[in-house]
Amino acid sequence: MGYEEDLETYRTQLLQTLSSPTSRSVSGVMEPIQVYVNERRVGELEGAGMDATLHIKTLDHIETIQLRTEDGTLLGGLVAPEYGYRTSRIQLSPDAVELCVHNTAQGGSLNAVFVPAPSFWSRMGKTFADVADRLAIRRPDAAIAHSMRTVAFTQALLAVMVVGLVLDRVATWMGSEQMLTSGMQPEALRTVSVTEVRKLEQQLGALARMQEKVGEALESQQNGMAQLHHTMAKLSSSHESVASGVVMVKEEMEKRQANLEPETDRTTPHPAGRGVVDQEQLEVAIRSLTEDNTKLSREVASLEERNQTLTAKLHIASVNASKAVDPNPERLLANQADVARKNQSLQVAEGFQNSQAQPFLFWVTFSEGTSQESIDQWVNEKKGHKGSINEGWQEVRIVPPAVPPDLFLEQIRGEKIVKAARIPE
Amino acid sequence: MQNTVSKSQVMADHTVTVSRLEEVVSTSDEFDRVVSQALPVLLDRATGYTKRFLRETGQWNDDIEHEKFALRWGSEYLERFLVCGRSEVPCRPLFLFDSLVAKQHSKPEPFCYHPDLLRPLGRFLDGLVARAVVSRDALIALYRHSYGWGAGDVIAVTGLNGLESQRIYKNFRRWRESGWQRTMDEIGLTKTELAELTSQQQRHRQRFNGEAERLIRVAQAHYRKSEPDHYPCLSRAQWREMFTQGYGCDYRIWHLALCLDCMQTAWGLSSNGSLTEEKPRMELLVRP
Repeated sequence: MGYEEDLETYRTQLLQTLSSPTSRSVSGVMEPIQVYVNERRVGELEGAGMDATLHIKTLDHIETIQLRTEDGTLLGGLVAPEYGYRTSRIQLSPDAVELCVHNTAQGGSLNAVFVPAPSFWSRMGKTFADVADRLAIRRPDAAIAHSMRTVAFTQALLAVMVVGLVLDRVATWMGSEQMLTSGMQPEALRTVSVTEVRKLEQQLGALARMQEKVGEALESQQNGMAQLHHTMAKLSSSHESVASGVVMVKEEMEKRQANLEPETDRTTPHPAGRGVVDQEQLEVAIRSLTEDNTKLSREVASLEERNQTLTAKLHIASVNASKAVDPNPERLLANQADVARKNQSLQVAEGFQNSQAQPFLFWVTFSEGTSQESIDQWVNEKKGHKGSINEGWQEVRIVPPAVPPDLFLEQIRGEKIVKAARIPE
Repeated sequence: MQNTVSKSQVMADHTVTVSRLEEVVSTSDEFDRVVSQALPVLLDRATGYTKRFLRETGQWNDDIEHEKFALRWGSEYLERFLVCGRSEVPCRPLFLFDSLVAKQHSKPEPFCYHPDLLRPLGRFLDGLVARAVVSRDALIALYRHSYGWGAGDVIAVTGLNGLESQRIYKNFRRWRESGWQRTMDEIGLTKTELAELTSQQQRHRQRFNGEAERLIRVAQAHYRKSEPDHYPCLSRAQWREMFTQGYGCDYRIWHLALCLDCMQTAWGLSSNGSLTEEKPRMELLVRP
């Protein structure tokens, strides 16, 4: 087989497959129908009708939808619009699949519903209801069609019964005519039949009135439904606008948060009123700081307690040791006094350490004409930190000096740039 | 003389068909009617576009393999157009068709192209894996063609329950009855080529299977993109959890068929010791 011939055979084969009606129509699909969105399999619809709906939501736009059988036959499909809805009913003789695709800025969604072919009895009922619709209903609304059909069906049934009754009476009347020929009482029979016919007329009149009433009721229901639809449409449009507003606000907040993140890293203070996000972050930070503070104070308390216990133990241990080593009671007393002194000195040292832990605060004023640079340099020399300024007095915090505070202040006052110095009251 | 007349007649018919395709069709039935009369024209058009795409991307050679490749994808596009185009009425079918093909070619890697996949063995594997993406029958048959397993083995390996097991048997049956032949027709493998493949396998079994393993990895890597995007490769611990807990039935079936590596990773997790210790290797079966 040559090159051209081989290729032509293949082309013909492909064309035959494409034009073959069996490739795209399946009768009575009982196997699950595979659903593909953008040529990716997303799920299946149970052909038997047990699990006959499929709802898919995607982040990407939906471009195409395809329905395939398990052997891969393409049953039907739909090209989705870029935005908005599109619905399609794909007939799979005798069943059908209804597709509804909706694309928005946030992504796409698909609703697929398998609609099995109606059974013989439901088809009969539908045909009858259709006929009744045509007889009794002028413009049925889809939403109330079912109730209207029921009413129409009842009316039609009544009409059939009436017709049956008329036929029955006519037959009786004919029979009575035969009986007349055989010598029965004709007048009495005629009276009976006339009475029956009158009754019948009355019934028909009542039926017609009932029909009119039903028609009026249906019209009012139709109007009500129309109003309801109108309200629902308004509601859905307002709902959409609210939803889009929420999305916009969310996006805006995310953007702000993204912009603020680098600033948070630099631990610069946030200006007040920057938004809810800032406030929340600050609150979280404050909360964590408070917790840390509480933990810290708890630890300090426990350490102090432990320290006291240890001191007491040391005291007892030293007394015991003295007892064991030196039996002389005088020396024991002297030792006890010594230990007490030691304890006292320990407590003093502890107090000194505590006071060292707290910064020493004093206020100072500088000579006129002293530059800010000189002041900063002086504070740096003291290894201190500047605090607030109040009526010309500069608050300075330093590590507690080795000399007593009064002496320290005297030393400070003696310095060239210092005009006056004092300790806060 | 007669040949010239028939050629000019064909040209005239072609022009008429194209001009009809350029006109607006208003209903789905009209669409079906117009398009079904123009299938050869549309197939040639899609094939031409595919050839041009291959030329422009430096993937074209003037040989029958490339011609068949272009024809196969042209046919694929045309099938999608026949089904989806009906929902686009009113439209001008020719322009709609052109836009559909252009949209396909504007995607990254619109089809699996590899020079080795154009030879008979490559075409066979590419066709099988491509079909597995759109047909569950073909997907299940991949286990058969890749490892030589029957329905029972597939059920055991993937750890399926009773209901799913019934479907596997149906998949196997349909594939044997019609699926395999249909796939071979679609990829254009002739009886001679299939016989040659079988012969090669018998003569050089190890080399043949090694080559098949190399090529199927190329095809699987491409087509696995088409399986649900929430089905990534998993670690053995994750597979074990899935098998133990009994969830992810679809995940197991779809991913393990399309991933040789994961099949080896998850090997033996569902068997309760009934499967052999040796991990599965490629044992290509040409026929179902």
